Amino acid sequence: MHLLSGLILAVIIFAMMRPFLAGRPAIPIVFLILSSLTLLAKFPGDLLGMQFWAGAVGFVAILSAMLVVLHPNPMISVLFLILNLFCIALFYLMLQAQILAALQVIVYAGAIMVLFVFVVMLLNLKAEEGLRLTGGRQRSGALLLGVAFAGLMFWAIEHRRGLPYFRPGTFLEGFGTARDLGNLMFHDYILAFEAASILLVAAMVGAVLLAKRRLQ
Amino acid sequence: MDPALLRVLVESGVKIGLLFGAVLTTVAYMTWVERRVSAWIQDRRGPNRVGPFGLLQPLADGIKFMFKETILPPHVHKVVYALAPAIVFVPALVTLSVVPFGPALRLFGRDVVMQVADVDVGILVVLALSSMGVYGIALAGWSSNNKYSLMGGLRSSAQLISYELPLGLAVVGVLMTSGSLRLSQVVAHQAEHGWNMLWQLPGFLIFLIAGFAETNRLPFDLPEADSELVAGYHTEYSGMRFSMFYMAEYANMITASALAVTLYCGGYHVPGLRLLGLSPAASALVQVAAFVLKVAFFLFLYVWVRWTIPRFRYDQLMNLGWKVLLPAALIHIGWVAFLILQGWA
Repeated sequence: MHLLSGLILAVIIFAMMRPFLAGRPAIPIVFLILSSLTLLAKFPGDLLGMQFWAGAVGFVAILSAMLVVLHPNPMISVLFLILNLFCIALFYLMLQAQILAALQVIVYAGAIMVLFVFVVMLLNLKAEEGLRLTGGRQRSGALLLGVAFAGLMFWAIEHRRGLPYFRPGTFLEGFGTARDLGNLMFHDYILAFEAASILLVAAMVGAVLLAKRRLQ
Repeated sequence: MDPALLRVLVESGVKIGLLFGAVLTTVAYMTWVERRVSAWIQDRRGPNRVGPFGLLQPLADGIKFMFKETILPPHVHKVVYALAPAIVFVPALVTLSVVPFGPALRLFGRDVVMQVADVDVGILVVLALSSMGVYGIALAGWSSNNKYSLMGGLRSSAQLISYELPLGLAVVGVLMTSGSLRLSQVVAHQAEHGWNMLWQLPGFLIFLIAGFAETNRLPFDLPEADSELVAGYHTEYSGMRFSMFYMAEYANMITASALAVTLYCGGYHVPGLRLLGLSPAASALVQVAAFVLKVAFFLFLYVWVRWTIPRFRYDQLMNLGWKVLLPAALIHIGWVAFLILQGWA
């Protein structure tokens, strides 16, 4: 954990140094490399611990999620969203849910995000035309909703921690395998699964109908 | 360090090193094979000057690529431009890690599986990684800031997405009979019940055609159709960055061939090998050799088709993908289900 907090601190100092050394990108990058090497030499044991990797992936996930919103270029925002979805797939892997991780990459990072890339490319947005929070009201509204959502998440995590299925030791044999997931989806929750698929088909037919009407 | 962990790390490291070495050497020599075979098909001689039979030609090409200037055109998005070739190249190499290329062998007192990672969801890993290659091509087209590159990138995204569906649906047939996503189990099932190719010939053909489209090879090389798009998404690339796209194409061919062998042609299985009564080590060696030979046949097929069949038009490509292959793959799933219900597969 010392290694992770040290690295995070190094990245923050790196980000703060950058604007003061415009035109000399090498200096902060050399600083970043030197500080990471020093930290690695000091705490090499951390590299084998699950805690370090979970924290590192979480750090990258939060950083990329922030950059999705903050980056001025929409294309780069999309790329950071892909990175974020990858981090979530890694979390699934750490929780022994291999199939969920694979599906996360196939469906979200693979299929849906390709459409995002496609749309952004076709719209040909310039960096300056990117997403901007306009006006004070929108900004304060976003802030308020964000804080409310964060509070809700904290509350949920605090209250869920006591339940047994949040402890990795209580996982059943075969947890997270294709067979287990198939049983859940096509046996235990078949009705909800089918209802969701009908909903999706209806949404797709509706979208096609709307698009066609505009063409005529 | 924990000795068990150390053993796993060393074993995986050796396997990864061997696999990378083998794949990169094959990639280099595939360029030579492609040029020699195309010359043969077109009644020419091909590269035969550097070394015996021109065998040192890939080495000469590699040195040339390295010493060429890597040009950074103005107005490109620098980071994405530099990242795109790597995004194409890495998934092409990593996919092979879940393919078993031989039976388990007893070495140094422990069973060594001839596979880098025997993942529980092997086929899904393959599909997930193959969908990552799309980004490299689309981003290469976008970041080059060139209309031909952008058109090539867009076409390629559309093509890869369209052909991923029949590819995945064809594989569903294999999953239904073998009852597992693990590639080693798929091979074991075929060794017991006969190769999937025999029972699922339509699925095999759909997989093969979609594989040609996924690797961007002729007759489906529309992303870089040179008569209309200059060179498509890699128009602006040069030097080592260009060669990464080039190597990725061949690495993808190797991956697609290895998958076709594993899923449909019995993997490393050789029919009737048990009757010969060889020692475990010798029979393992024969099986690995059989796997390599099968993959080599598919690689030859790729080259053969490239120099025989002309390129499709874009609308023909889309019609083939959505109106022929996709329904065919769905009907094929029904056929496999029928086979299983009858107890024939």
